[in-house]
Amino acid sequence: MSEGYEPWLNREMRQANDFTAQQYFEARGFDQVDDNRFFNGTSTGDYMIWSQLLSGGSAVRKRFALALSEFFVVSLNDINLSWRGPAIGEYWDILNRNAFGSFRALIEEITLNPAMGVYLNTRGNRRADPRRGRVPDENFGREIMQLFSIGLFELNQDGTPRLNSGELIETYTNDDVTEIAKVFTGYDLDYSQTTFTPDPGNPSRTIASVDHVRRPMTADPSKWSRSLNDGFHATEEKQFLGLTIPAGTSAEESLRLALDHLVDHPNVGPFFARQMIQRLVTSNPSPGYISRVAAVFANNGRGQRGDLGSVFKAILLDEEALDPAKVADPSFGKLREPMLRFVQLARTFGVRSESGNFEVRNLSNPANQLGQSPLRSPSVFNFFRPGYFPTGSQSAANNLLAPEFQLVNETSVAGYVNFLERAVDTSAWFLRDLSLRYSAELPLAHDAAGLVEHLDLVLTANQLSASVKDTILSALEDIPVEQNSPDTDKLRRIHAGVVLVMASTDYLVQK
Amino acid sequence: MHISRELELSRRAFLRRSSQLAAMGAASSYALDLAGIGEAAAFSSSGGYKALVCVFLYGGNDHGNTLIPFDPTNYARYAAIRGGIDDQGGGIALPRSSLASTVLMPAGGQTVTDDITYALAPTMPRLKARFDQGSMAPILNVGPLLAPMTRAEYDNRSVPRPPKLFSHNDQQSTWQSSQPEGSQTGWGGRMGDLAQSANTNAMFTAINATGNAVFLSGEQALPYQVSSSGAVLFRPLERGRLFRSGAATSALETILTTGSGNILAADYATINDRSIKFGSFVNDALENAAISTDFGDGNRLADQLKAVAGMIAARGSLGVTRQVFMVSMGGFDNHDGLIGRHEGLLAELDFALDAFYQATIELGVADQVTTFTASDFGRTLASNGDGSDHGWGGHHFVLGGSVNGGRFYGRAPHVSVDTPDQVGRGRLLPTTSVDEYSSTLALWFGVSPSDLPSIAPNIGRFASSDVGFLRSSTMHT
Repeated sequence: MSEGYEPWLNREMRQANDFTAQQYFEARGFDQVDDNRFFNGTSTGDYMIWSQLLSGGSAVRKRFALALSEFFVVSLNDINLSWRGPAIGEYWDILNRNAFGSFRALIEEITLNPAMGVYLNTRGNRRADPRRGRVPDENFGREIMQLFSIGLFELNQDGTPRLNSGELIETYTNDDVTEIAKVFTGYDLDYSQTTFTPDPGNPSRTIASVDHVRRPMTADPSKWSRSLNDGFHATEEKQFLGLTIPAGTSAEESLRLALDHLVDHPNVGPFFARQMIQRLVTSNPSPGYISRVAAVFANNGRGQRGDLGSVFKAILLDEEALDPAKVADPSFGKLREPMLRFVQLARTFGVRSESGNFEVRNLSNPANQLGQSPLRSPSVFNFFRPGYFPTGSQSAANNLLAPEFQLVNETSVAGYVNFLERAVDTSAWFLRDLSLRYSAELPLAHDAAGLVEHLDLVLTANQLSASVKDTILSALEDIPVEQNSPDTDKLRRIHAGVVLVMASTDYLVQK
Repeated sequence: MHISRELELSRRAFLRRSSQLAAMGAASSYALDLAGIGEAAAFSSSGGYKALVCVFLYGGNDHGNTLIPFDPTNYARYAAIRGGIDDQGGGIALPRSSLASTVLMPAGGQTVTDDITYALAPTMPRLKARFDQGSMAPILNVGPLLAPMTRAEYDNRSVPRPPKLFSHNDQQSTWQSSQPEGSQTGWGGRMGDLAQSANTNAMFTAINATGNAVFLSGEQALPYQVSSSGAVLFRPLERGRLFRSGAATSALETILTTGSGNILAADYATINDRSIKFGSFVNDALENAAISTDFGDGNRLADQLKAVAGMIAARGSLGVTRQVFMVSMGGFDNHDGLIGRHEGLLAELDFALDAFYQATIELGVADQVTTFTASDFGRTLASNGDGSDHGWGGHHFVLGGSVNGGRFYGRAPHVSVDTPDQVGRGRLLPTTSVDEYSSTLALWFGVSPSDLPSIAPNIGRFASSDVGFLRSSTMHT
């Protein structure tokens, strides 16, 4: 890369998503009320995200958006509303639009997004009603603090915990949760532009048009599905984390004050930085690395806090990320997430979708698929925890974290290889809409050594160890291919080579 | 109170034990044969086979709609707090009439706080029948505690609280391991450490039929993971062909077990190796151990428990006499839409637990297998409109032929959001600690009283290490 990393990255980051989720749903007709009853299922949500990840440009932006989707988690498994596909599509579009924008703007957009509103119950959340014993729902108030901004205990800027007489210092109490929960009351879906069509499968019922799952939730009760004069926001005084929002403050103003206060908390930089470094570069960043990124979060050099473009650049261009010696450091790197392995396979070898829709569904089954599927986290705590390490392991003995190993066990490792075997030739029934072209590999197939070199380059950035390369080479030489052999023979060798490379731990650990 | 120091002491006892194991040459617990380790002499393996099965309810079960006050006075309190109208239900209160067929009438006329009569959720008729038969017992208001604690002590912090209360991931970890997220060993795994000397094949001491969790990790014992249909085999290795090439298959096996320098790579290769080594062995054992009990179709908890039953049926071939299992179901974090969803989850739980108990009867090991529930936390009794929020203590179930069932254990909380047995909004201040719960199970399983602190580090601060819900636990030798 003669131009250097930064100019390339700058160029990539300027590219907007050239085909958004919303454009996808419109182009495919998946947002129309018709006999297909797309408003009723989740599969178009899976198709959308696979199409986003497996095809189209702005791959760098999407890679960051995917990392953000594992920090600000919403799962297609558990959003109970109509139009779940377009709803999670809008969430994905928010992450893409804001991936290099402001953390503060992003957290407000995700707070008011209908998919998040349903997932963590801000939608329809109401102020207390002592007569009925009702109190505000605490779910979003708790998780926005624990997971989306400050975390459970106070941090130094290098990500290490602050201590008071040797003890961790909790960032908030349950009273803070109860109080901040009042902020997230009074919001509901915005039906102000919504039209209704009879359900083709049940004409006695009408289906609301898709727009209400895309527009931000509103505290204006005249825009709700059942229009009201008065809203449900808790207007009493709210006190949390040292902030007092006076009685009588509107829902919108309360939200603005609360989010400003959260984003200004000194924990946000190191808390967010560590997890993004873990998603993108290495499971065990040094305190220095975290503190350099946290410093950029605090100030991008132009006085702005939470400028995500600068933060992501700081992560990728840090000396620790770029140091060639780190490749040989036994404690550096991260396990590649199963969904990223599949994305890499598909993009590297020229994936095509027969239907154009990328009709791949939820691949969460660990016994015969990936054990992970994008936007399908089993809970708001993501597929794995940032502090996870496999017990009884060398990682644990060396005090190293290995978050992605939360998905690794006797079942999933075998399931992955079995998946791989049927993914490289897309023979698995759940990949039947896809094909891989291998156009760069077919001309090399007769030259086993050249093929191995090529696969090493495109899949591992030349990180296969000599012994693994030798092992793969002897295996491929056992599959006879001549320059004039038919493509089926050539593909057999290519498929075997790709499986062997992608099953190797040299590949599985990104360094 | 210097609690952290005592935790440290029990941890050091572990390290000592581990180093003794290492000194005896048992460096690798992956080895199939760890027979002959004499370290756990204090562990009783008498009485033949025994197994504990942890059923983890992820998300925090709403105990308020699992065990519901039925007598008119307490039902009225429940309905008022949960937004119900008279006996009709509404809000997140179940209608009183729906509870009539699952009322629990304890044997011997046992009475509990405020003379509460409890009913199980209407979708739990099978566990109601097991209660009536005496093989199921509810344990009331169980939760993590470092020491017994009153509301006043909670408020003035004169007794330390378990850290990070009300947080999902941390309380899951605290239930499973006595410490928040980041903990290295769980009490299931620590029992496995003590028990694995009783097994010819140590690898099959701690069996996980669900996602990775700390519960089954010990200092030595490692969870072995099985899918609902047994071990998943590497198909190319089983077939001996990868894209019709035998050489490619051999290469695959070599590559899978090669770790090349990087620590994460080495760990991954170790798990590949374990999966390759034990998969066929497990499936061969399962093949010869058929079970006819109906586990239904599409009940994911029942599918996991069927795999557990299979492993128990295959215990002879697997070479084990003591096992700890973990299964789980999710979906319990119902901040919204509690009514409907929650009863559905409990119906699945009811069916799965009952089928599993039936299978242990079929296998002739009903008295030797004890199943128990656990969950992140209980939930608020107060309603947030159509759901409940994170709490602390909750009610749990134990099921098995050795359960001294048909009655309640622990202390029933008032049906209240303002009495001192809760800490606000009906978040229960636990009156039976997880340590008391786990100790009772451990004693039955064969752990010696002197080893209990390694299972339940806080047990010394509680009056008794045996809550009494297991019949033979006091007969332990």
